[in-house]
This record gives sequence, structure tokens and C-alpha cells, in this order.
Amino acid sequence: MIIANQKPLGEIMDMLEGVRRVLVLGCRGCVAVCSAGGDKEVKILASAIRLGKGRKGEEIEVVEETFVRQCDPEYLEPLQEMGKDFDLVLSMACGVGVNFIADRVPGVKVKPALNTTFFGANLSSGEWKEMCAGCGACVLHLTGGLCPVARCAKSLSNGPCGGSQGGRCEIDPEVPCIWHEIYEKLKGFNEEASLETIMPIRDWRPSGHGGPRKRIREDLLP
Amino acid sequence: MISGSNLESILTSGQFAVTGELGPPKSGNRDIVRKKARILKGYVDAVNITDCQTAIVRMSSLTAGLLALSEGVEPVMQMTCRDRNRIGMQADILGAHALGIKNLLCLTGDHQKFGNHPQAKGVFDMDSIQLLQMVKAMRDERRFQCGEEIKGGEPRLFLGAAANPFADPFEYRPIRLKKKVDAGANFVQTQIIYNVEKFKEFMKRCVDLGITERCYILAGVTPPKSLGMARYMKNFVPGLDVTDEVIGRLKDAKDVREEGINIAVDIINEVREIPGVAGVHVMAIEWEEAVPEIVKRANLLPRPEAKIEPVLMGAQSIDEAVEQARKEAEERLQGEISRYKEEVEASKRQAEKEKEESAREINALKREMASKEDELSEKERRIQELLDALRAEKAKIVELESKGVVSTVSTVAGEVSEETKVLEEDIVSRKQLDFALRSMEAGLEALKKVLGLEDEAFEALKRFIEAEFVLKGEGPAVPTGPVTPPTEKRPPAPPEEVAQPVEAAGEEPEVHKRAKEVVNLVAKGNLLLHQGKAAEALTEFKKALEIDPEDEKAKAGLEEAQKAISAKETEEQKEEPRAEETKEGIPPTPEGLTDEEWQRKWVIRLIATGNCALYEKDQDKAISCFEQALRLDPENEKAKRGLEAAKKGEFPTYESPREEVVEEAPKKEEAEERPVAEAAPPEEKVEEVKEAAPPQKEEVKEAKPKEEAGPAPAPKAAAAIEVSGEFEFKKEETSLLDRIGSIPQDLFMEKATGSIREVVIGDGEKAITVGGASALPFHLFEGEMPHAPKIAYDVLDSKPEEMPEPLLKYYEECLDDPVKWAKKCETEFNAQAICLSLVSTDPNGLDRSSSEAAKLAKEVIDAVECPVILWGCGNAEKDTETLREITAMVTDKKVCIGPLTDANYRNLGATAMAMGLPVVASTPIDVNLAKQLNILLENLGLGLDHILMDPSIGAVGYGLEYTYSVMERIRLAALMQQDEKLQAPFICNVGREVWKAKEVKLPTDEMLGDQEVRSILLEAITAASLLFAGGELVIMRHPRAVALTNALIQGLMG
Amino acid sequence: MAKIIGFCCNYTAQVPVDVLEKEGVIGGGVELRRLPCTGRLEVPMLLDAFGEGADAVFVAGCKIDTCHNKTGSLRASKRVRYAKGLIEELGIDPELLEMFFADRGSTGDVVEAIKEMEKRTEKGA
Repeated sequence: MIIANQKPLGEIMDMLEGVRRVLVLGCRGCVAVCSAGGDKEVKILASAIRLGKGRKGEEIEVVEETFVRQCDPEYLEPLQEMGKDFDLVLSMACGVGVNFIADRVPGVKVKPALNTTFFGANLSSGEWKEMCAGCGACVLHLTGGLCPVARCAKSLSNGPCGGSQGGRCEIDPEVPCIWHEIYEKLKGFNEEASLETIMPIRDWRPSGHGGPRKRIREDLLP
Repeated sequence: MISGSNLESILTSGQFAVTGELGPPKSGNRDIVRKKARILKGYVDAVNITDCQTAIVRMSSLTAGLLALSEGVEPVMQMTCRDRNRIGMQADILGAHALGIKNLLCLTGDHQKFGNHPQAKGVFDMDSIQLLQMVKAMRDERRFQCGEEIKGGEPRLFLGAAANPFADPFEYRPIRLKKKVDAGANFVQTQIIYNVEKFKEFMKRCVDLGITERCYILAGVTPPKSLGMARYMKNFVPGLDVTDEVIGRLKDAKDVREEGINIAVDIINEVREIPGVAGVHVMAIEWEEAVPEIVKRANLLPRPEAKIEPVLMGAQSIDEAVEQARKEAEERLQGEISRYKEEVEASKRQAEKEKEESAREINALKREMASKEDELSEKERRIQELLDALRAEKAKIVELESKGVVSTVSTVAGEVSEETKVLEEDIVSRKQLDFALRSMEAGLEALKKVLGLEDEAFEALKRFIEAEFVLKGEGPAVPTGPVTPPTEKRPPAPPEEVAQPVEAAGEEPEVHKRAKEVVNLVAKGNLLLHQGKAAEALTEFKKALEIDPEDEKAKAGLEEAQKAISAKETEEQKEEPRAEETKEGIPPTPEGLTDEEWQRKWVIRLIATGNCALYEKDQDKAISCFEQALRLDPENEKAKRGLEAAKKGEFPTYESPREEVVEEAPKKEEAEERPVAEAAPPEEKVEEVKEAAPPQKEEVKEAKPKEEAGPAPAPKAAAAIEVSGEFEFKKEETSLLDRIGSIPQDLFMEKATGSIREVVIGDGEKAITVGGASALPFHLFEGEMPHAPKIAYDVLDSKPEEMPEPLLKYYEECLDDPVKWAKKCETEFNAQAICLSLVSTDPNGLDRSSSEAAKLAKEVIDAVECPVILWGCGNAEKDTETLREITAMVTDKKVCIGPLTDANYRNLGATAMAMGLPVVASTPIDVNLAKQLNILLENLGLGLDHILMDPSIGAVGYGLEYTYSVMERIRLAALMQQDEKLQAPFICNVGREVWKAKEVKLPTDEMLGDQEVRSILLEAITAASLLFAGGELVIMRHPRAVALTNALIQGLMG
Repeated sequence: MAKIIGFCCNYTAQVPVDVLEKEGVIGGGVELRRLPCTGRLEVPMLLDAFGEGADAVFVAGCKIDTCHNKTGSLRASKRVRYAKGLIEELGIDPELLEMFFADRGSTGDVVEAIKEMEKRTEKGA
């Protein structure tokens, strides 16, 4: 899922300069699952905004709402009308939601309450880890299912660099060396010989360096 | 030859190569590069020019490489993938070739995290292996990475790579090196080697892989500069293996640096012997001076002559040209100076001559004066004579007056008086000497014109003469300074400025005195400056400039003094922390970090250690850590806070309570008891099972002799649970609302927004209604639960192959007669409902025909008054058939049919609808499947008030948790999220699941305890759990388990 | 007079604030709010308490190993720590929010907590 993290409150309070009526809009998608922008977080942020504004002696009306998703047109529909009542919509969705509102809901000023960070998995309650970089050219079939693009500090293609020690990455002993893990994994399948061939220089276009990306499935188009 | 580089020719000729390393400066100062290059020149065959090593911004490797080249040192340009993409890298590669660089070392590069710009975006468009591949293709195939042809002038480069034999996984390292060679590496330099044994093993594998036949391997060697550096490399640099032996040697050494060099030499001698090693790469990190010594002691001198030809005129040539120009200018200057000196000398001689002449003149004058005096006395004498004569004349005239000739005499007397006046004047004007000098000056002026002397020379001459005069009189000596042009200490002047110093001599005579003062002050200033008293010198120069703001020397002096002062300041700043470092025992700054960065990191480390100590309650350690940190960084807030906390003994609160609890273990019990005495009735008591009636004796009667003889159940189990007799749960003494006191209701109440449908099973008096709840199970304080959960007894329509002992005890006599069985349940056990399990119809079992089974079922239905749930065998087709048969025979609405699955819901649903019967909708443990089936049935026309959901359950130990979780989610969706399609009551077939478990079949033993107690509890606990998850109708088998469950329900329903 | 709002669980909330006030053990302006268990505490409750004008807010839960609901007070302490970060970002001294662990039914511990918070508000003022 998409992992996000709430922006520093100071930054959010700056966005609310002069705002009298704000809609704190959560999303029940990824950000709810990663505890960044679901119902609970909407409540917390709304309370914090009220407190922050109150201390400055400024009045603000904070309305809390959470949509099923902010990245599908039908779920955004209610905002077309509702949004008009607010000076600002503070979206607690990932960047997709903020963009989508800005694109689809005219006349509504939307700002982000979160920093969208990565695609990750939930390791345990309160802990998420990056697993995919969305590079558009998956090599996981060659690397035992472990991604060197997302999980190697240098996105190496051809094995661990000289900083790999005891299975740890040199940038941080907390970070495992994914190439070490790839090697061990493939060795477990007796496939380590595949790491003797040189992986060619990548084409980074599908990763977004070729411009904004779009996906189309003809058969589903209306 | 690939590139024709010096390194390549040495390696291909089979000679043992030596390469060095040169880190470009963190500035644009080319002299640093040139200086380092000069140190290494002649001692190494080529020098690696690092590319922003450890991701710290430095002069680019291409530029520094060219500077080295201009010094006659062959560079090995390093290139990393961190900072440029393939476009930038290819561009630089073409440029490097164009400017005469012939060796290229391809690296991935250190991660930017380690450098001074950790915020930077790391490019890593490719890795080192791919870079090698790309450059090789540019060189050998003359094409860019994209495939486009390079027309003319492909980059001819001897390609290098790096290898770390000590990184992990060790066995993969030679393979990865082979990949580099495959990609195009012509030579390889290894990571620093201290562990020679491990390196030997690595080399052996490389030889086995054939790498050494295709590529030259240079072993990396670094002399450890200090013990601290060695320890740092051992502990903090990933992929560096510093042996204890090396540490030990340094520790025992008297002269650590000397020992460091010896270690390097020893390692070189050892690796030389290893097959496949073609050379060494000596890296003396910020210790370039060590390289010549090491190379010398390792007997690697002299190095073969290298022919290095810079393509462009390098910095050296420029410097040479400048030097040449400067020399010429100096010569010209010197020439002019000596010329002026000669002229001065000549003027001096001339002046001497003049002096002699004037002395002569003076003498002449004196003589003249003497003669004039003589003349005067002569004249006086003559006057006397005349007077005498006059007197005589007078007397004569007196005589003649009388004779008449007076007029003539008076005329004569007038003449005489005039002559006397002139003489008097001559005598008075002794001051005429002065006049004489002035006239002499005029004479000199004339002389100057005659001699063609320039102004300054003349001036000099004049001053000289003046000086002579003054010297003869009193007064201080006039320094002759301005006469000689100042040459010493002047910054080298460009040729066109040569005339300048001479101009300084051209002072106007009027300002002479002031100039003198200035000169004095400047001289004093220079002296002070020389003594190192820059500040005092500065004031002298300033004074001088106050007098003459244009004085060049004073200006230059002032500048120098200021420079000296600022240099001193920076030196002091530098020295201060260094002094502290040793005091605080900071390890030496590692390579690639500035002292400042290292200190910062060290402070962070100290604070972290301090915080750890604080957690461990090691107050002294924490204080010392924080104090150390503060000494290094007195402004650090964290350290300050830490120190404060440590001094106060404030240890973090999060950990401490836990420890306290451990310490106060004996108190804990008291604490738990207190609230009981004080006020709140403990909720635990609700769960306590109280035996209401007959004690053990009854059980003994009922129990079989076998059980009595068998090993006694574990005493604990027996004491805890008594399964015989009636059960009663102690009800709440005070309601939750009372107990909760002043807690606002909205804090614990979560009112449901939806409710569960009511489903009626059976008709008439004995009909039961389930569902209807508008709160979570038994949350009576939050909402309604109009109907207590119901329990149906399970009756099988054929004799089971085996039945566990505890059940057999109750049903043995009616096992083959379902009618009798059902009746027994109704009359003896007060069954609220019967579930007739049509197990006999199973095609895989007895496969009794539908009609036969139906007939039997009809008998059972007729025999009892309570509602009957008809539960098919689970085969969708057969169940459809059987249940249809039965419903056709049954006229009243006493029955409920099931299970309906997605395979047979249409047919059975239609039947139920036609008859108005409730159904059991069965799905395999899944929220969405349950919902879907409900929707399908609703679409068919069967309302939710006719549906009992069977979520498929598991007994304790057989998936109960999963069942529980799914049921809970369904119920929450139904009540809180208004998911209407899930608002049907649950039916749970507990008996069937429990009584096939292994645990109910195993006989009594010491480990598992009494079989009957065990099995009853298994069934009761499963049922109870499912009731808490929302179960409204449970099907059970053992009457004691039913009694236990019922007691729980009664207790909870109040 | 400083306004202090405290959240106490069922077991620590037996403290009769008005009596203590009358006896002069603690100053006025203290309000205790009961929770079934401090595990029920949510971050917005703490923020809203400040929003209502509290100068200081504290939570008194059971000692960690004695929580009736096992981990209730532990969870509460984590939430308090989270809320401390939020109020600090809003310019409120995080010291004005604190988690205390009290023995079950112990008035003394809660009084100590109140006194500590009173001290902190004075320091701040």
C-alpha cells in the first residue's frame, strides 16, 4: 500500500493562515491502513487544529469527514457541493487524493496534510517498510522476489557493493543488504549462478523519468 | 596497447606496478594538487585521482587529473555513478580522452549519506559494472550507450575497477569481480589489505576463475597512520578487515608512524608473493609523504621512466611563463637599480670633486678675505696716511686759506670717504658664506644640466652634499634609505610595474622630513612583523599611512600584518579544538571527514551513550558523557538537557515503572485487594462458576466404574470445575452503570446504529425467536437484547459409527432411534429446539434415500413440540432433494431448513419462501461470502427475517479464533456500519464440531485430565465464545455443557 | 489559578478532589475525568482538554504490570508521548502534559501527580 506520514503541525498551521472554515478530509484507503489519514487521524488532526488556532486566539470551524477513497471519481462526488462551504479542504489522503481533488473539484482549494512517502508493507503494528519503487520494469523474477531498486541504497543491478558487511548495508546497520539477501535466497534455490550474468543498464523511462505515467486497458474503457 | 598509458605499458611488460592515490582538495587551489603530485612523482607509475570520495565535494577528478598530468604524473581518473547520469558521464569521458587522460577507474561511488551533502539526490543511473560495459563499448565498438556511433576520436582508456575481497558474501566476491572483468575491466585495485590470509584465499579463487589471466590485480595497501585510525577502520569502516596483529603491532610500537610504514612494507612483500598479484596500490590517506618511503623500503625503486605528455599547456607551463616573466622583470629591475647606484656613485664622486672645488673656492675666498684685510689695513694705513696728509694739507690749507685754495681740497676728501664705505661693507658680510653656498647650488644646477643628470640622481647628489654639511655641523644623520630602491620583501611585481619602486625615491624635497618619519615607522613595523608582533606592527604601519596615505611600503606592510593577524587567528581556532580532542580522547578524524564533522558526529555519539546510560540508570557514566559532549559543543541543547536530567537523577519514566513493579512485587497483591475492599466490585467474580446443588456423590453414581478405577483427574481441574449438578452464575450485584460512577457515558458507550433482525423458528407456544439485538452481545448497557441466545440439541438421524464416552452415557439407549432421542432431549433436558442432523443421507455414508429420510424426519417432527432445525448432510443436491421431501410432508411452520449454500440456495430458497420457513445460510468463514449469500437470498425474495447465518465455525483449538474474528466483523458491520445485508442472526453448529475433536475422544489420563470434564468444557467454552461473538442460536450435544452455557446466558442476561 | 485536567482510570479515580481541595492539600481548578481504563484514552481527548483551557493535563493510570486490562496504561503512556509531540509543535510546553503510574486506588499517587503538574504550571507562568 501507499505509506504516508503527517506533515509537521507547524507546516499545517501555516496553511491555515486566515482560514475560517476547514474540512479535514480523511481517506479510508491506504492511508487509513497505515494510520496516517483514516478516521482516527482525522479526529486527532482536527483536535490539534482547534487547539492550535484557539491558542492564537483565532476562530476556526473544523469539520471532519472521511471518504471511502479519494482516488475514484464517484467517491469524490459529494465534495463538489460540500467543498463550496469551506475556505480550504485539508486532505489527509496520499498525494493522489490531493491531486485528484485539485483536478476534479473546481472551486475548491485543497492542501495536503500528509507527506506521501513510499510503497510499503506493514511489518508490525506501527512499523512500515519500503518494498517497491514503482519503477515500471520489474526485475523481481531475477532477484528472488527481493527488489534491488527499492531496497538497495544505490539501486544496484549487479550484486552487493563493497560496503556489504555481515548482511548489513553500510549506510545504516539497521538496514539489511538486500543484495546479500538476494544472493542467499537464490542460493537456497540453487540459482545463484544467475547472478553471474550482467544485468544490462536499465531503461528508466517506465519509472517516471519518461514523463508522467498513465495506464490504459482498452477493454475496460467506457 | 589499449590506451598506451604508462600504467598499461608497465603492467603489460610484466613489471610489478605501483599506483598511488591523490585526493583533490576541497577548494579550487591547484597548488595543493601539484604539491601532492610532486611528492608522488617518480615513486609511483600512476596516481588515482578520486572522484569526490566519501561523497564530499572536491575538485573534480578530471580537473585534478589534468593538473597531475601537467606535473608529469600519470593520472588514473576515478569516475563514480553517484553524481552524473549516463549523459554527463559519457561527456566527461570524451573530455578526459581529449585532454590526454588514459586510465579510467569505474566505481559506483560512496552513498551521498556519508558526505557533506547528505540531502543530495543520488543519481545511480547505473552501477560500476554497467559503467565499465558502457565505456568499453565506447572504446571498442565506437558507440555511445544508446548505440549511436562515435565518429572519430573514440575514448581510448585503460579501464580499471575496484574489488573488495573482505565484503560479504565472501564467496560471491570473486564472481562479482569476474563480472567486472567481463564488463571490461583491464585492471583492478583492491580494498586495503591487512588480512593477507583472507586475501590469499580470494586470489586463489580469482586464479581459479581465470580472472588473473584477463586482468591485472593490484593489491591495496595503506600504512596505518595511528593506532586510532587502525581501530577506527577495524570498527567503523564496513568492508575493511584490520587484523588484531596489526592493532597489536601499533600498540606496542615506540614510533607509531614508523611502525605503520613497516606494516605497509611487510604487506607489500607478502602480497608480492601471491600468484596473480600484478602490483600494489598504495593509498596513504592524507599522508602522501609516506609513499616514497614505503616504495623505497619495499625495494620497488627506481620506477621505470614514464613518458608523460600533457596535451594542453598545463598549469606548469603557465607557471613557468610567469616565472620567466618575473625573472626578466627582476633582472631589468636589478639592472636599473645598479645603474642608479652607479650614477649615484658617480654623483657622489662628482660631489666630492665639487666639494674639493668649493673648499678650494672657500680657501680662495678666505685668501681673498685675508688679502682684503691686508688691503683694508693697507687702506687704513693709506687713510691714515691720507688723513695725515690731509691733516698736513689742512694745515697747508689753513696755511693756504690764508693763501685761498680750499675748494680743491674738499673734492679730494669726498673721494676718500666713498672708498672707505665699500671696505666697511666687505668686512661686515661674513655671512656671505651662505650666499656662496647658494651660488654654489646654482652652480650645481648648471652642472646638472651639463652632466645630463636625471632629477632623482641630482636630488640624491644634492642630499648627499647637504648631508655632508650637516654631518660637519650637529643634527641626526639623515638616512639614505630613499636613495636605494627597496627591493627586499616586495611581492614579485609584474614587469610593467618595475618602475614603481624607483618612483618611490622621487620624493619632493619639501616632504623629505615626513618621508623620513614614514620610513622610520615602516622599518619599525617590518621589524615588529618579523618578530611576530603583528598587532603592534599594524599600528606602526597605520601611523605611517596617516602621515603618507600613499606610501606603498606601508600599505604592503599593513596588508602583511593584517594577513599575519588573521592567519594567527585561524591557527588559534584550529589549534584549540585539536588540543581538546586529544584531551577528550576523540579518535582521529577518519578519512573523508573534516575535524568539525567528526567532532559533531562524536558529540552525537556521546549524547546517545549518555542517554543509554540514563536508561540504565548509570548516573556517573551519563554525566561524564554529557559533560564530554558539552565540552566539545557547549551549545548542544540535547547534551544540556541530558546533563540536567542526569544530575537530577531523572531517569526516563517509560522504563522505570516496570522496574518498580518488579521491586514491589509483594505489594502487588495488596494493591489488587484494596479496591475490592474500598468500592468497586471486581468484575472477575462474574465469571466464577458456583456450584448450586448436589455434590460429588451424584456424579459418582452416574459415572461408570471404569472411570472410578481410572487414574484420578488432576486435582486442580477437579477443584476448579464441577460438571455435575445445576449451574448458576453469580449475577452482577451492581449494574455496570452504577459501577462506572462519574465516567461520562460517551466514553464507554458506543451505541449501535443498526440492529439485528428477529427470526422466528417454529410456531405456536414453543416457537422461539432469535436476534433483535441493538447492541453487541450482552452489552445490555448500550442497547437492547430482547431475546436471550437459544440452544438446540443435536439429534442424529442414524446411529453414529462411534460416539465418545461422555455422550454415550446420556444417549446410548436411543442412538438408533432419533424419535426417542429427540423426545429425551425435549422432556429430560428441556430442549428449546431440536436440530435433526440428516447424516444418514450422505451419499458418501449410508446414502439413505431422501424419501426414507424424510419419513423418519417427519416422525421426529411430529414427536416433539419444540421447533426442529433440519440440517442436511452437506451435499447440496441431496439436501435439496431430502429437504424438499420433508417440507412437502410437513404442513406447519415448525421447521427451519439448512444448510443453504451458493450451490442450492435457489431451489431450497424457493421452497422455504413458498412455505414461509426460515433457513440456514451457510458460507465458509468469510464476511463477504456471507453477505453475498444473504443478498442472493434476498433477491430471491427471502427476507433477512427468515435467514440464520451459519458462518462455519471451529471448536476451541480448531480455528475458533478465526471464526470469532469473522463473526465479530460481521456483527460490527451490521450494528455500527449499518451494513443491512449482514443484519441476520447467527446459528452455530457447535456440537458437530466439538464432538469430532480428538480431545473429546481421548480417555481420562493424568496429562489431559478427566475425559468428561474435558469434553464438556470444550463444548461449553466453544459455545460461550461464539455467544460473545454474536451467536444467537447454538446447536449442542452434551446436556451438562448445555446447562453450563445456559447458566452463563442467564447470568449475563440478568 | 491554574486549571488542571486529569484523566484517571476506574481504579485510580477514587480521589475525592473536592475534599482534597477543601483540606488545602491541592489547589483549586483541578478536574478529574474518569475513564473505564486509561487504555480508552485517545489523543484528541488530551488535545481537547488543552483546547478547553487547561493549563496542564495529566493521565494517571495503573502501574504498568497491574493494569486491569493488561496493557491499558502502557497504551495510554504511548498516546501521551505522541500527544506531547503534537502540543510541542503547537507551541505548548510538552512538560505540561504527563503520564503518571499510580498504585490502584492510591490517593497519594494521584495527589502527587496533581502537585507535580501544579508545580509545572507555576514554572511555566
